[in-house]
Amino acid sequence: MDDGPVTQNTSGQIGSLGTGVGIVAKTNQDEYNQRPHYSIPGILHFIQHEWGRFETERTQWEVERAELQARIAFLQGERKGQENLKNDLIRRIKMLEYALKQERAKFHKLKYGTELNVADFKGTVYDDLTKDEFVDGDLSNSNVSWKQGRQLLRQYLQEIGYTDTVIDVRSSRVRNLLGLAPHLTESDEKKNTSLVNGEQSLNRVTDTQRRGAGKKPTNSAAENALRETEASVLATFDFLASENIDIEDDEEENLRFAFDSDENGEERNMEDNKRIISQQKIIAKNNKTERMDDLMMEDAETEEVLSEFSFLGPESANGSREARSLGDIGEWEKSESDCEEEWGTSPQAISKMMEEFRRERNRKDTFQRPKRSALQAMLATLSNSSNEENRPSSVVPDNSPFTSSPSSMSQSQSGTGFSCDTPSGDSRFGEGLGLLANFDSLLGFGIPPEVNTNGVHGGNLTFGSGSRCPLLGSKCDDENMDTSLGLGELAGITVSNEAESCYDISASKEAFRKTWNAKYTLRSHFDGVRALAFHPEEPVLITASEDHTLKLWNLQKTVPAKKTASLDVEPIYTFRGHCGAVLCVTMSATGEQCFSGGLDSTIKCWNLPNSNIDPYDSYDPGVITSTLKGHSDAVWGLSVHSSKLHLLSCSADGTVRLWSPQVKASLLHTYYAEKDDGQPASVDFVRCDPAQMVAAYDSSNALIFDLETGKNVLRLDTINSSSVNPLSKQINRIVCHPTLPLVIAAYEDKNIRFFDITTGKMVHSMVAHLDAVTCLAIDPNGLYLLSGSHDCSIRLWNMDNKTCVQEITSHRKKFDESIYDVAFHPSKPYIASAGADALAKVFV
Amino acid sequence: MDSTLAVQQFIQQTIRKDPSNVDEILTPPEGQDEGVWKYEHLRQFCLELNGLAVKLQNECNPETCTQMTATEQWIFLCAAHKTPKECPAIDYTRHTLDGAACLLNSNKYFPSRVSIKESSVAKLGSVCRRVYRIFSHAYFHHRAIFDEFENDTFLCRRFTVFVTKYNLMPKDNLIVPILGDETSMNESEA
Repeated sequence: MDDGPVTQNTSGQIGSLGTGVGIVAKTNQDEYNQRPHYSIPGILHFIQHEWGRFETERTQWEVERAELQARIAFLQGERKGQENLKNDLIRRIKMLEYALKQERAKFHKLKYGTELNVADFKGTVYDDLTKDEFVDGDLSNSNVSWKQGRQLLRQYLQEIGYTDTVIDVRSSRVRNLLGLAPHLTESDEKKNTSLVNGEQSLNRVTDTQRRGAGKKPTNSAAENALRETEASVLATFDFLASENIDIEDDEEENLRFAFDSDENGEERNMEDNKRIISQQKIIAKNNKTERMDDLMMEDAETEEVLSEFSFLGPESANGSREARSLGDIGEWEKSESDCEEEWGTSPQAISKMMEEFRRERNRKDTFQRPKRSALQAMLATLSNSSNEENRPSSVVPDNSPFTSSPSSMSQSQSGTGFSCDTPSGDSRFGEGLGLLANFDSLLGFGIPPEVNTNGVHGGNLTFGSGSRCPLLGSKCDDENMDTSLGLGELAGITVSNEAESCYDISASKEAFRKTWNAKYTLRSHFDGVRALAFHPEEPVLITASEDHTLKLWNLQKTVPAKKTASLDVEPIYTFRGHCGAVLCVTMSATGEQCFSGGLDSTIKCWNLPNSNIDPYDSYDPGVITSTLKGHSDAVWGLSVHSSKLHLLSCSADGTVRLWSPQVKASLLHTYYAEKDDGQPASVDFVRCDPAQMVAAYDSSNALIFDLETGKNVLRLDTINSSSVNPLSKQINRIVCHPTLPLVIAAYEDKNIRFFDITTGKMVHSMVAHLDAVTCLAIDPNGLYLLSGSHDCSIRLWNMDNKTCVQEITSHRKKFDESIYDVAFHPSKPYIASAGADALAKVFV
Repeated sequence: MDSTLAVQQFIQQTIRKDPSNVDEILTPPEGQDEGVWKYEHLRQFCLELNGLAVKLQNECNPETCTQMTATEQWIFLCAAHKTPKECPAIDYTRHTLDGAACLLNSNKYFPSRVSIKESSVAKLGSVCRRVYRIFSHAYFHHRAIFDEFENDTFLCRRFTVFVTKYNLMPKDNLIVPILGDETSMNESEA
């Protein structure tokens, strides 16, 4: 976002540099005949300018760092707060559970006169959350009688006014965090030298180290360039010109300053300054190590020079002001791009870290956020404590740099050195430092671009150590916290909870494995539901039944059902058009139309009514748009193309047909298989090759056709043994993987088989059910496979390792048939099954 | 009779065997719970009435049949709405079938298909009364459709016998003269 100013700035300075060079060249032509493009004052000015610029930059970085550190501290505080809240809630839950258990035991005792199995009590499973925080070895607690349980409950109830305590604890936690901060950052520094220093260990050496490390690539490049350009001064100037510098103005004063600094022996170490490209720089380099020492040892002297320099600032008339405004203020504006540049990290690494940071943030966001007021309260505490704690990050602007404590000296020095003399710079500085005040806005924005760059940082800083445990917190802290919460002996209570995993947030650390549960029951059909199809976006589905109708269901319109876990849904529309059972249904990719095939040999095209339609609205004949006639027997399978509105149908008349339902001559092609292939049972477009389709026949053959030519291009290597009843080998459903060249076929012989459609070879075969597999569905990402069978169950398979992830018994048998169809919602976490018992069920 | 859907299976099998043999279709197997038997038959009637509704959709439109009538004696009000209203005949038909589908599948009134509460059995009568109007409307206003449908399914005949046998509707409400002359009646009317 600040690229504009940066380039502007550069070009402006290049321009002035050009003229400056011209002047210098003219005046000193005789004197420096051999080096016509070069002048000492120019170089000095340049160096001085560069030095100043770097000081400014450094200041900015420090400000940024302070900002980030404060932010980190804040986030950690927030996290702690959340954790406290969480722990508190867990504590409450556990106490209630405990009381419940005791009551149950009591009840059991009263009813049966025997003790409830003590093992139940002893089965105190420590969930992940509490493992860290609660002290182990509390088995004695598990045996406390119900009286004690009551006692504890009472104790707990007394605590109901806990909110104040929690807030107090939170603020104290934040203080703890800040107190601990230096510790941590020091250790972090050891791990990663490029990390930002701890607040209190701010000193020049590490600072330069850091910068040096950060800038290594460019630096060495500059040094190489230096050696080369010894010979070609012109090139040097080109190089110079490419950097934003200004050597036009105030040559005299700059010179004087430069000499001053030379005399003082305090010329700033320019090691990390990539723009020094003269003999003078070599001198500087020679001095480098000394300077390093000097800088370390003689902070005071450095400070003096710095101050001199800063006083020089105002003296150096208009030109310098201009330069400064270009340089300094421009710097502020382009700080973020600079930041990225200077950290010398590759864009990928940055984006990676950003992502990491975001993810971390998101994860944090999934925790329940505290109320805004609570945040503000914490914020206030944070700023207070940061003041108290020796201003660990120098967050507050300091205008008396020379009196500040050693720990913060260098920072305030650099801070004033360049920023305080120009009002605008100052204000910006102040603005930058007033970050605490900005926290609210920062939070409000989420991650504004500015913070994004910081986020890169933050990611590195906070999560670089690769541990998810609290960065600042430690075990003893948690114990402290527990005691401060007044947990007392309650801390020991960990009543086992069978449903623990339900709210165990830390479980999300592992790969999220969803367990599907029946949520909606769709009852309104009079006979078996043969097929179903989801809307591409909305929680809407359509079912096709043997009762001659299709019904449209909106899962958001449920009927309150008493005491059952699943909700009943009533249909919002009933499609009547088929004379006879409806056998298949599919929905267009837009969700505007659906198509159904029936026992009456027809395919009907329907316009989907609005999902908020009144079920008892008047009849709209426009819902049924057209009837595709052509098949001479029942239409058993349909498949719609994912991008264009083409429809494949397969029928008991032995043909597969391709339709374009919207045009008048809707039948595009008819595909015939050989006689002994039998009747097509299922058909699907090949998703990874839009010019092909696959059809499966009841002879257990599966063929791939070219849609254009109608030729059979490949015959899949399906099981073709004629020894047993051929009907038991038939394929009931064939589906194509959304991305891979893979088709999956459901067999009457309880198998699911996988075929590579580039070779036609079978790649995997498994006995998947206890009865015929009737239907298959692949999730939109192609990671999971859902199968349904007449054994009444639907099974979810991991596509990777072909293992069953979940089995759900879903429907009842009718005429020895149970499940007719299964489906994944294309964009929402729903799966559905349709059964012979006239029900459809939706799982979430 | 081992499954929850056995009664439906039984009914559908006998229908498939010979749809015209109304008496056999309506003869329950031994030991069959009468409530379930009635309930499953009514489900089957509503199911098959969808076929008549599909046929009516093509001909019975709101312009010609603005009200649900059979004879001129009654105008039937559609009970699917909060306040019953005069729906056009086709809407009445659809709404009645949709409403019946919801009621007969209601988890509240018919949570099970193997045992039906006595209070819920009482609901069957009103469903019968309403769906019968579809027959009567078709008979008096769309005779061709009615005859075509009846020749295929013998549904009205079966329905009439069914409600008479189980006393689900008063006799004088059965205005379609389908049983007047026993089997020949249908022919002579056509």
